[in-house]
Amino acid sequence: MSDEQQLKLQAFLDGELPEGDAREVAAWLARDADAAGLLGELKNTRNALKNFEPALKLPESREFYWSKIKREIERTAPVATPARSVSLFTLLRRILVPVGAVAALAIAGFITVHSFSGGQHPIAVNSLLADAGAFTYRDQAQGMTVVWLSYPAENKFAEKSSADTLPAK
Amino acid sequence: MRPGLIRACWLFLAAALLFPVGSARAEAGDVTLEAQLIWGTNDTKPDPRLKPADPKLAAKLKHSPFKWDHYFEMHHETLKLKLNEEKTVTMSRNCVISVTNLKGEQVKFQLFGKGKLANTVTQALPKGQLLVTGGDAENSTAWFVVLQQAD
Amino acid sequence: MAELEYSSAEDAALVRAAQKGDMDAFEELVARHRDKIYARAFSMMRNEDEATDLSQEAWVKGWQRLAQFQGDSSFATWITRIVINLCLDELRKQKRHRTESIEEMDEETGGVERQMPVVTTNPTERLERGELRQRIDRALDQMSHEHRTVLVLHEFEEMEYKEIAKTMGCSIGTVMSRLFYARRKLAALLADLKSQ
Repeated sequence: MSDEQQLKLQAFLDGELPEGDAREVAAWLARDADAAGLLGELKNTRNALKNFEPALKLPESREFYWSKIKREIERTAPVATPARSVSLFTLLRRILVPVGAVAALAIAGFITVHSFSGGQHPIAVNSLLADAGAFTYRDQAQGMTVVWLSYPAENKFAEKSSADTLPAK
Repeated sequence: MRPGLIRACWLFLAAALLFPVGSARAEAGDVTLEAQLIWGTNDTKPDPRLKPADPKLAAKLKHSPFKWDHYFEMHHETLKLKLNEEKTVTMSRNCVISVTNLKGEQVKFQLFGKGKLANTVTQALPKGQLLVTGGDAENSTAWFVVLQQAD
Repeated sequence: MAELEYSSAEDAALVRAAQKGDMDAFEELVARHRDKIYARAFSMMRNEDEATDLSQEAWVKGWQRLAQFQGDSSFATWITRIVINLCLDELRKQKRHRTESIEEMDEETGGVERQMPVVTTNPTERLERGELRQRIDRALDQMSHEHRTVLVLHEFEEMEYKEIAKTMGCSIGTVMSRLFYARRKLAALLADLKSQ
């Protein structure tokens, strides 16, 4: 059987042949056992793959995976066009009048938190990331703040083999 | 700004200064911190020489969104810091950390990878809280630097 | 305006909301289709980390291009095509750094697989489901990127030859040869036959 014939059989199986060619192949299959055998093998292989599509689960939790996507979306979001310029006087008037009120509220809030939270410190995280692809994530339940850096695996922060790569204690 | 509002601001500020409230460690003194370099893996048969991470820590990391099943302690440092004192320690050949004890149980944590600053975090770190910095390592494993107050 | 119940909303409604900037709606779409997108990437890349990264990148691109989604296909198909293209780009990048082995060049022409005896047993009847999955998995690992990609696009993505050729940037004849080779190699592996 030539290469061309073999590929024609495959195209027949995949429904890729024009009607005329498909009829010719059907007739050929009826009289050629070898061709029918090869078609059978191709069909079996195709069927074996039919339900194979791996039932793979993404090996990350929904929240973790989404947090990385969200961060990247926000990082790459187009910068908003700047507001039209206003006079310095207008700007100062807009800023200074509410500042006092905000300061009062902030101070009141600070005292309130300390009064009613039994002395528990709120965990305010101030994070400066030199790594643009990194992000910060707070897990209240576990009492953890996580900063995940985006360095590729090739950058070895931690060597796998233990003692001989670590500084002596 | 309206005079009444300005007066109110000053009154609040005065009250805050005269009647401070806060935790028992309001005036921060010495603190003892532990920094651990942890390696996370799903290898079913990792090197038997590796030291497993503290079970409580491993349990916390396992319950987090991290996908790894096994955690090993690669390096451990204890840092005793006076107020405003800063210490730099080497966690591995490629990883150096700098920790500063700030008042109000705040710490400033910096991580340097291969000599370059990777991140700076300033946050409160009361007992029981963890600050974890991590990233991917080879072969689908991960590294973590865990900072917490010593027991 | 009625609030959207994300978990029970149809994809089309979530897409419309996301196109207006509703990120929660987009998150629901991610949650629904993340495993499938990851599976597609993994089938092509055969590497967990690469598949995770590329699937993530696909979602980010999906958000950025959401305005272009007109509903000609389902959202799932649309986002799958994005991840496929990203995987192909990555494979091309990797190929530039790989030296082509003699086996790979031989694969192009079909090599020994063309002369291999026909396998008459049906693997789905002969092998238990789990064993079949493992063998198919191993076989996919053994194929070159080009052959695996053609197989994935034809068998899992159900693309026609013409569409595969356009996606992969090759001729229809090359698609057919690669598909034929990939199927015959798979048949041999499932039947425990080893090619010389």
